[in-house]
Amino acid sequence: MLNFLGALGRYFLQKISSLGRSFVMLINVLLVKPDFKRNTLLLINEVYFVGVQSVIIILVSGLFIGMVLGLQGFNILKDFMATGSLGTLVALSIIRELGPVVAALLYAGRAGSALTAEIGQLKASEQLSALEMMAVDPLHRVIAPRFWGGVISLPLLSLLFAVIGIYGGKLVGVDWLGLDEGIFWSGMQSSVDIFDDVIPMAVKSFVFAVVCTWIALFNGYDCKPTSAGISAATTSTVVQSSLSVLGLDFILTALMF
Amino acid sequence: MNDDPIVKIENVSFSYSGKNIYHGLNVSFPRGKITAVLGPSGTGKTTVLRLIGAQLKPDCGKVLFDGVDMHALKRKELYKIRQKMSMLFQSGALFQDMNVFENTAYPLYEHTNLPHEIIRDVVMMKLEAVGMRAASKLYPSELSGGMSRRAALARAMVLDPELIMYDEPFVGQDPITKGVLVKLIADLNEALGLSSIVVTHDVKEILEIAHYVVIVAEGSVLGEGTPEEIKNSSDPRIRQFINGEFDGPYAFHLKGKDNYLEEL
Amino acid sequence: MKYLKAEILVGFFVFASIIAAAVMSLKIAGLVLNGSSAFYTLHAKFDNIGSLKLRAPVKIGGVTVGRISKIYLDDKNLIPVVDMEIDSSCSSLSNESKASIQTAGIIGEQYVSITPGFYDEESGSEYMKDGDYFTDTGSALVLEDLIGKFLYSAGSDAQEEKKKSE
Repeated sequence: MLNFLGALGRYFLQKISSLGRSFVMLINVLLVKPDFKRNTLLLINEVYFVGVQSVIIILVSGLFIGMVLGLQGFNILKDFMATGSLGTLVALSIIRELGPVVAALLYAGRAGSALTAEIGQLKASEQLSALEMMAVDPLHRVIAPRFWGGVISLPLLSLLFAVIGIYGGKLVGVDWLGLDEGIFWSGMQSSVDIFDDVIPMAVKSFVFAVVCTWIALFNGYDCKPTSAGISAATTSTVVQSSLSVLGLDFILTALMF
Repeated sequence: MNDDPIVKIENVSFSYSGKNIYHGLNVSFPRGKITAVLGPSGTGKTTVLRLIGAQLKPDCGKVLFDGVDMHALKRKELYKIRQKMSMLFQSGALFQDMNVFENTAYPLYEHTNLPHEIIRDVVMMKLEAVGMRAASKLYPSELSGGMSRRAALARAMVLDPELIMYDEPFVGQDPITKGVLVKLIADLNEALGLSSIVVTHDVKEILEIAHYVVIVAEGSVLGEGTPEEIKNSSDPRIRQFINGEFDGPYAFHLKGKDNYLEEL
Repeated sequence: MKYLKAEILVGFFVFASIIAAAVMSLKIAGLVLNGSSAFYTLHAKFDNIGSLKLRAPVKIGGVTVGRISKIYLDDKNLIPVVDMEIDSSCSSLSNESKASIQTAGIIGEQYVSITPGFYDEESGSEYMKDGDYFTDTGSALVLEDLIGKFLYSAGSDAQEEKKKSE
């Protein structure tokens, strides 16, 4: 029994202290004075690495999710003679939930894990230590550009996801199943509102971007510098980001809608 | 040149994940000399370097670099003072996505606002000094172990530091490369007037060039002195280490609870 | 000036996102960009606003001319007041006009419909200005009340018939 309590206590303290370290890292990253001259190129490279390289997977999955929504929605709405609401259904479900959430999940899997592995590899090969000993703070040069690259990229990716998803729904509903195009768009336009739907979507994906990038970077920065440590850190990045995204999505939905 | 030591470690204790590595360590590293830190593997020789670089924090005690307590500094001051020291890592730790030239130029681009032409000249001079000028366009993955260590050495000295720390520079090198590195370390120390700390367990090579030797084992200093003093030491533990005898005070058999015969 | 491949692709990425943002706001959310975008505000008091929401459209004969900007309760006599922003191109509204809350379809969204009144200078009617109140308003039809009334009258009809037959 005492052993169990001791193990529980140690586990809890370890979790708390790693949470504390991750906050220290985040605060240090946020407090970095922007050094545009040196960091612009680094930032562009990270937006390329995190954002541009995720565009294909985001577009393909967005298109298919939109098409599936269009197909399922059409079949269900047909029973209620309400196929005119298909545009509303597709647009609202993608903009409010699926766009930010699925884009964040894909981002965690595609970019978050890559970030963790990259930072972990830098750490294992002593490159982070080398930077420190060269009097270059790795939080400034390595972590901060990746953080901002992620925070910029994910909202843009969610936006692309949402637009391509809605066009996927239109492709199935209008072009294949013969719904009237005017009804599809006008129903959508009268029910989707910039302030009620699109801005909350942007807020959501911004929050997800901060959380996912933070988790990915911290797991890499704090990993054991061995190959097993890197793989464990990569796994926990994907698990923690996915759970945080889904949990936070519920909280944000409850707060905003 | 003043005579007080460049690095002074005072009464440092350090433990890592529950294991006690140092207990009351006291060492001084003289200025302008090559100091060798010797010791069996696993005694935390590299830890000494990381304590000096303030990458690890001791449980108690002080590490003075040039009279400044490294562990009492704020983050910003620490990064400032680290410009005066540099470290050659065991793996070289070159940035994998930059070529040799860019690796060497990196500290200059970070810490100076020199125009590109001057940086180019400085980098080429340093690369010439380590004999790597012809390889300036190669990437780390294309270099052999000895070449990447030489490139890393060029990078370590590009800012003209006061102290260079070498972490196991000879590990896994063929005899020729070892010879090259030994000569480089001695020449650079002489030519640039800097201080060097070399952590190694290649006794023969380092005793040729070191001015001062520190042997650490079991969490504290086992013996220190000039190479001659160490070679003529009467301490059987030091003798065993220097001469590489397989059995002695450090037993060949790891100490265990059970008697060998009983276990059989 | 030569640009890196990464820079060009990032530029493309950002450009695509801007286009997506434009599509999102114009085509999907139906945001109408209005060149002048000048408004004047009219107030209307209703007995009951039903489920009228902020930013619901204001229409004249089905054409959207403005949006609801504010819904609040008059402090003194506890009557709901609705503020609407009317496009300034639609400026010749007589003060005899009527504002009423209507429903698009049976269960659709509610909106404010304005029925323009006659403009007759001799009888003293004027054009409405910023800050004016509609004098004539029609409240929302609450579906439950309607059903209640119908059931009540149907019930009483049935009772009367029963009495007659007796």
